[in-house]
Amino acid sequence: MEKPEKNFSKIYDQYVEKIYRFVYIKVSSQEIAEDLTSEAFVRTWESFKNGETIENPRAFLYRVARNLIVDFYREKGRSQVISDEYIKGIVDPRTNLEQKALQNADLERIRQALGNIKDEYQDVIVWHYLDDLKVPEIAQILDKSEDAVRVTLHRALNALKEEVKV
Amino acid sequence: MTEAELIKKIQGLREIKPKKEWVFLTKSQILGEAPSSISNIGHRMSNMSNILFFPKYKVVLAPVLAIFALIGVLALSQNSLPGDILYSVKKLTEKGQAVFVSDTNKSKYQLEQANKRLEDLNKIAEQNQVKKLAPAIDEFQKSLAQATKNLKETSKIDKEIIDQAKKIVENKEKVEKLGVVIGESEELENALKEIVEYQIKYLENRTLTEEQSKLLSEAKTNFEAGDFSKAFEKISQIQPNNQ
Repeated sequence: MEKPEKNFSKIYDQYVEKIYRFVYIKVSSQEIAEDLTSEAFVRTWESFKNGETIENPRAFLYRVARNLIVDFYREKGRSQVISDEYIKGIVDPRTNLEQKALQNADLERIRQALGNIKDEYQDVIVWHYLDDLKVPEIAQILDKSEDAVRVTLHRALNALKEEVKV
Repeated sequence: MTEAELIKKIQGLREIKPKKEWVFLTKSQILGEAPSSISNIGHRMSNMSNILFFPKYKVVLAPVLAIFALIGVLALSQNSLPGDILYSVKKLTEKGQAVFVSDTNKSKYQLEQANKRLEDLNKIAEQNQVKKLAPAIDEFQKSLAQATKNLKETSKIDKEIIDQAKKIVENKEKVEKLGVVIGESEELENALKEIVEYQIKYLENRTLTEEQSKLLSEAKTNFEAGDFSKAFEKISQIQPNNQ
């Protein structure tokens, strides 16, 4: 296997689950999460193929994923996360098969609460508490100071706490 | 809730994971690699094609290869699901098999097909292939409609037909437990109505035990009230010795 493929393959294996989860939490649809995640990796692969040097592939992937989600909502609108084609097979538009697999009302509550807070707060919570990114790494993705990230994290947790109480 | 408790709940979201199949296929598609099962078939085919270097075999080999390719496609199609490219091939094979089914067995055959469609739907639901749900549900409804049509025309409804109908009711419940809404159950109600109506007439002329008579009476009440599912549930429990 040539070098770009080998490098990309390593990055893919390392981050595909994290990127998928990051996207899924925001779009609440397995189909859409799969589409956007694969698009994020396709774009990353294009950069590899073109010989571009990606110093921090993880940060690159998260940035691409965020931009894809923004574009997605800009085109489709938040009210059309699940298309009519799938309604026939879904019990409740908010509860698709992927969500049924979670099986835990508590988890579902937290997932929904997370989906309701500001995008930036969602991002830092997912990166820090789910994906184990350190503050300096998050600062690099957001292009902000470490202090600013710490403040955002603190505010994000408070916002989530309030949302979970509701 | 304390901050520690909240963080613990957040970390519970690590359960959210993509399907392994999707992970594997996506990587293969991005890197332009064929999944290994298909590349193995390609390898075997390329070995066979080496024989073409011997010209005198070419005349025989072309049709032979074509036959192997057809058998390969038919074999591959058997595991296809509604929404797959090879699913239409699978349906053609089933239609071909139906030609050899006698009129008396058509009802049973059609109910078996409806059950196969429910099994497809179950696989799709378990594998979370949301895109295939709608076509799979349509296929089930169509096969059930065909089964009902045959039931109306049949002269005899035997134990095998009743067993197939029971299986449909059970499989439908199984699929619905996975969160799939099959939609209007009119076709199933119509099929059950035909079976119950036939069975009531048949059983009224048979010797039944006290318990069987009670079930028959309850089934008749349910039937008259239009609750064909309940009537079927009662009727299917009655198996007189001479049926």
